[in-house]
Amino acid sequence: MKQSGASALLQGAVQDLASGVASALRGGGRTSREDLHATVRSTSDLDLAAARVLGADLLLPAVLDGTAPTGPEVDLARRAFDAYPPPVTAAPTVAWSHWALGHTLRRVGAPSGPVPEPGPEPDASWLTGAPWPSLTHHLAVLAPLALPGQDCAVARLARGRTLDVARGFVRAIRRRDWYQAAGAGRWLAVLPDVPHTLGLPSGLDFVELMGGGDARVLLQVRAARLIGSGVSV
Amino acid sequence: MASVEKTVEEVRIRDVDLEAVLDPAEADGVFRDSRECAALALIQGEGSLLLSPPTPRPKKR
Repeated sequence: MKQSGASALLQGAVQDLASGVASALRGGGRTSREDLHATVRSTSDLDLAAARVLGADLLLPAVLDGTAPTGPEVDLARRAFDAYPPPVTAAPTVAWSHWALGHTLRRVGAPSGPVPEPGPEPDASWLTGAPWPSLTHHLAVLAPLALPGQDCAVARLARGRTLDVARGFVRAIRRRDWYQAAGAGRWLAVLPDVPHTLGLPSGLDFVELMGGGDARVLLQVRAARLIGSGVSV
Repeated sequence: MASVEKTVEEVRIRDVDLEAVLDPAEADGVFRDSRECAALALIQGEGSLLLSPPTPRPKKR
């Protein structure tokens, strides 16, 4: 019971943070970060854990509109990076999400203080040859890596499997797994040669309609639309 | 009082298996029903793949 209560607290904090990011992405193109500023000012352990869960997407508004992140945004992201290093035995997605957070911190820079060193890329061989449903699941978890021009092993691997991700997107919608569908949709926004017959924009509309009550789904849908609209990063 | 609540919250958050949150298993899937098919049809667009008939399910005996 203790675990489920704490997990619910964490999920609530993640939702609050994701909602702030999603609101910041609402404007299209140039973003407004007022809602995000209100959520990143919290400093409890709970907020730190929530920031680690949201990962690099905490800095997504700054990445997508090409402006420097504010001090509180960077401070929260940097403390989450430092507080939760992946253990040696960590699952690949855990290592990759930590690397993505450090990489993004370095990418956007910091108004003050040192920028953490993300270290070398984790191993991505576990994704090579993964069946398309499993590939889509893992890519959706690592959706913060889906950015135009992102050059890392996971992104390179995804670029070679557009059709598999498209299949996974349709499967996720049919299974009503809106979080996976939104993450896969964001990847499709950056992948080459997406079939026109997939109807990605309509699919994203549908995912938002059905799953947009979850702030993490909304964040990914809005990110996908912004990236798809050709926002330069 | 606020500090007591904060301490309780921090103790509770240590109970969370963060790795499980960061590496979740795939959620159980459920197939969409006719209401959702109708909603998707209303959206229209070029989503021909998404509008294709739902995957057949085993018949209940």
